Amino acid sequence: MSSHDAADSSANDSSVKNDSASNTDLTYIQALTTAIETAVNVALKYDPASRQKIAALQDILAVKITVPSLCFYIQGQEEGIRVFSYCESPVSTHLTGSPIALLSLLKQPSNLNNSGVSLTGSTLLLQQWQEILQTVDIDWEDAISQVLGDIVGPLSASGLRQSATYAKAQLQEQGRLLAEYLPEELKITPSKPEAEAFFQQIDQLKLQVDRLSARIQALQSQINTSPETNNDDSSKETS
Amino acid sequence: MNNKNTTHFGYEEVAVEDKANRVAGVFHSVADKYDLMNDLMSGGVHRLWKRVTIELSAVRAGHKVLDIAGGTGDLAYKFSKLVGKDGQVILSDINSSMLNVGRDRLIDRGVNQNVNYVQLDAQHIPFDNNSFDCVTIAFGLRNVTDKDLALRSILRVLKPGGRLLVLEFSKPQNKLLEKVYDEYSFRLLPAMGKLITNDADSYRYLAESIRMHPDQNTLRGMMDEAGFIDTEYHNMTGGIVALHKGIKPYIEP
Repeated sequence: MSSHDAADSSANDSSVKNDSASNTDLTYIQALTTAIETAVNVALKYDPASRQKIAALQDILAVKITVPSLCFYIQGQEEGIRVFSYCESPVSTHLTGSPIALLSLLKQPSNLNNSGVSLTGSTLLLQQWQEILQTVDIDWEDAISQVLGDIVGPLSASGLRQSATYAKAQLQEQGRLLAEYLPEELKITPSKPEAEAFFQQIDQLKLQVDRLSARIQALQSQINTSPETNNDDSSKETS
Repeated sequence: MNNKNTTHFGYEEVAVEDKANRVAGVFHSVADKYDLMNDLMSGGVHRLWKRVTIELSAVRAGHKVLDIAGGTGDLAYKFSKLVGKDGQVILSDINSSMLNVGRDRLIDRGVNQNVNYVQLDAQHIPFDNNSFDCVTIAFGLRNVTDKDLALRSILRVLKPGGRLLVLEFSKPQNKLLEKVYDEYSFRLLPAMGKLITNDADSYRYLAESIRMHPDQNTLRGMMDEAGFIDTEYHNMTGGIVALHKGIKPYIEP
């Protein structure tokens, strides 16, 4: 019996084992979970409010990634989150999906349909995590100041913030210019009023088709229920 | 071991009664820089091995844990968080210097409520039968003179259903890795010891004691022999280190 077979045989019914652990050196899995835990907890140092909320989440969330096959568990703790790869305690919520699907779940928290993520167990725990993640506000300025000092830190943070604001504004402006350039100069797309008029016509046509369809249906049912038709039917039955 | 009154101290054959003193000398010498050396020697990987130990211990709130050869308190610190205020952790070591370093470190990290410190010999654990939910011994068993006696002593103090976790250097599972590891252990390790602690001999002993320690299956057999059930081991980093686990049966054999 291999070491991992032995591990499986000793598991009780309520235990939850890590499937991936049976094939991979536990050192590598541990390196991954440690890296995630450390990175998140370092960031959470600069958002004490979120860290406090996370610390209260004592129920265990299991996250199973399909490709590559990997399962790990998340729980709140005093320092932020605890990420671990082996768990014998009861798990409240299981999430299964690809890494992209699981990440997109964070962006669209209210919708699990067609998200590629399956959930078993309590939805409450997932909602609690999502609510916290939506309101996380890391004080990067403080984090940078811790590294660069009280003078250079705020200056660098201010420069970064201004650059980010400028980039965001430029992105919006470029989008607006492109929206004008394509219909007005190149004339390869319709202008907004033209498109709106076209969509209105489509809507109107759709309404007319619906009305006509309803009228045909009404006429059809009228023909089917008329007395003449009924008489014909009854005479056929008598003969 | 050819003679019943002698045992191994690294590659050296010494009288049984001398081994404990010789080992104590090694650890008195390295205690101050034990953490630094561990990080340098393993590239920090010893922290990952210890995390696996914590996870497989399945320790939870309210548990009572004995950490034997606890050294500088890495495991005890994590256990103190997991057992909470209703649980208890005993950090123990046979070596007073190591225990002092561990105690100071835990106090510096604000751990002072649920951890107690006991200087003890793993062969004769001074606790009542069925006292602990979990016993761990990380990088300590190979220094114990009579390992079978220590395993029986641990079994005695474990509660029925409680588990023992032995984290220890073991035999690499790959020939190439074994060669690289040998070169590293016998050439680089003593040189690093000389540089950092000005004590090459202690680190030479470390490398030799690892080679003299039972391999994965032998240690598992010893645990079975002592009375543990459901014994298993997990090789880590290619078998350089192995984590053995055993459960105390509800009815002792």
